[in-house]
Amino acid sequence: MDADTETADRRMTPARRQRLARAVQYTVLAAIVIVLAVVADWGRIADSFFQIDIAAAMFPAVWTPFWNTIVYTALAFVFGMVVGVPIALMRVSAFGPYRWFATAYVEIFRGLPALLVLFLVGFGVPQAFPGIQYPGGVYGQVAIGLGLTSSAYIAESVRAGIQAVPKGQVEAARSLGMSHTRTMITVVLPQALRIVIPPLTNELVMLTKDSSLVFVLGVTTSTMELSKFARNELTANANATPLLVGGLLYLLLTIPLGLLARRLEKRGEAR
Amino acid sequence: MNTEATPIVEIEGLHKRFGDNEVLKGIDLQIAEGEVVCLIGPSGSGKSTLLRCVNLLETPTEGTIIAAGHDMTGPDADLDLARRDIGMVFQHFNLFSHMTILDNLVVPQVRVCKIPRAQAVAEARRLLAEVGIEGKEQAKPSQLSGGQQQRVAIARALAVKPRLMLFDEPTSALDPEIVGEVLSVMKGLAAEGMTMLVVTHEMSFAREVADRVLFLDGGVIVESGPPADVLSNPKTERARTFLHRVLHPVD
Repeated sequence: MDADTETADRRMTPARRQRLARAVQYTVLAAIVIVLAVVADWGRIADSFFQIDIAAAMFPAVWTPFWNTIVYTALAFVFGMVVGVPIALMRVSAFGPYRWFATAYVEIFRGLPALLVLFLVGFGVPQAFPGIQYPGGVYGQVAIGLGLTSSAYIAESVRAGIQAVPKGQVEAARSLGMSHTRTMITVVLPQALRIVIPPLTNELVMLTKDSSLVFVLGVTTSTMELSKFARNELTANANATPLLVGGLLYLLLTIPLGLLARRLEKRGEAR
Repeated sequence: MNTEATPIVEIEGLHKRFGDNEVLKGIDLQIAEGEVVCLIGPSGSGKSTLLRCVNLLETPTEGTIIAAGHDMTGPDADLDLARRDIGMVFQHFNLFSHMTILDNLVVPQVRVCKIPRAQAVAEARRLLAEVGIEGKEQAKPSQLSGGQQQRVAIARALAVKPRLMLFDEPTSALDPEIVGEVLSVMKGLAAEGMTMLVVTHEMSFAREVADRVLFLDGGVIVESGPPADVLSNPKTERARTFLHRVLHPVD
């Protein structure tokens, strides 16, 4: 009897246990911060990453590669959408050959590394088909090279969105006399695309970063993107500050994208 | 003019199998123009499947269906064209959730019947007023109550000018106090002479509005006749048991 009351006293209520666990975790966090602050050689870190004059010298030249990063991303995304959405429609088609083609397409371009596809488009295809000209030169190569991979991912996202649209929506449309194609365009796709805004945003962010692969095509000052530019500066100055500047500029692109996507999602819900 | 001569729906020898499960086991049914037919029966009896076979949302395994002058089961059937003449109202409304209420009625007219938008909008407003939905043109379906959504769904089905209306348990997803507003719209439609085939559990509606009640069980039509006969004096034990359960659920 005595022993029982004793264990009951020692046992904590769930709320007390949770408070204690929180306190321990905050203490660990504080300890890590303090250790890092004491151990790190701040002077050295500042020398490597925070050289204001090196950062300042990157401007305004950095705006050209910054702009190119945006253009490459946008071109590849547009190509990805223009090809990916029809591929998604083919994936859910009742006609076998469409399904087979779309499945093969997705498996191939989702499975190959973006770098390899870029090489293929930039060097493989021109060798196999001499005299081939990509529209827009390197811009065309990038749109196709990055867009092929992107379209496979977009196709899969959009297919999932199409399948997430309730069956009743299709039945209602068909019962009104809409054809299969009309139903897809008027009823299913608009709803599916709204559903896949989050994964499409993801894809756009991934593309922003994958545009750093463009350097393999051999770029000039005017066609250079952000990563290559930062790397050149890194070498020229033997200092890591350009990487920090480049990184911040990437975030300047990707974080607003996330915010925009959240706004679009909210608007979709409100409607 | 003898409208009885050519029935608007003619179903012969209809069978429907889902895998090994035979849901419809030989249905023969004729519906005359202007007739209101209620389909009742226990769940799983094949009522909804029969209804969905009429506009070929379900493909029959066997049998022929002629509806609103279209040979639905023929090899050269133009189902998109035929379905314009056969309106359908669903249990869960199925309004296009990304469109406004107005567009739910306008888009089918514009896209299916190729009616100019201005004219379609005028017709949509007229139909919405008829089902008692006003001032909600720019709302989205999710902003309406279930009863309002179902009345919009009826108006949408009417927008493409069908000659025949199918109702698949139109009030089953509604709160009891809202059922009446939908039934009264349907009653009005029946009074205007619309041919209606209604799957329902609303026995009072069947009694009051139907010209004929069909009792379906196990994939066959067990009883058929005027509501007074089928609902008040069922001839078969199966129908008696079913009606007793529906009308006196507590016993």
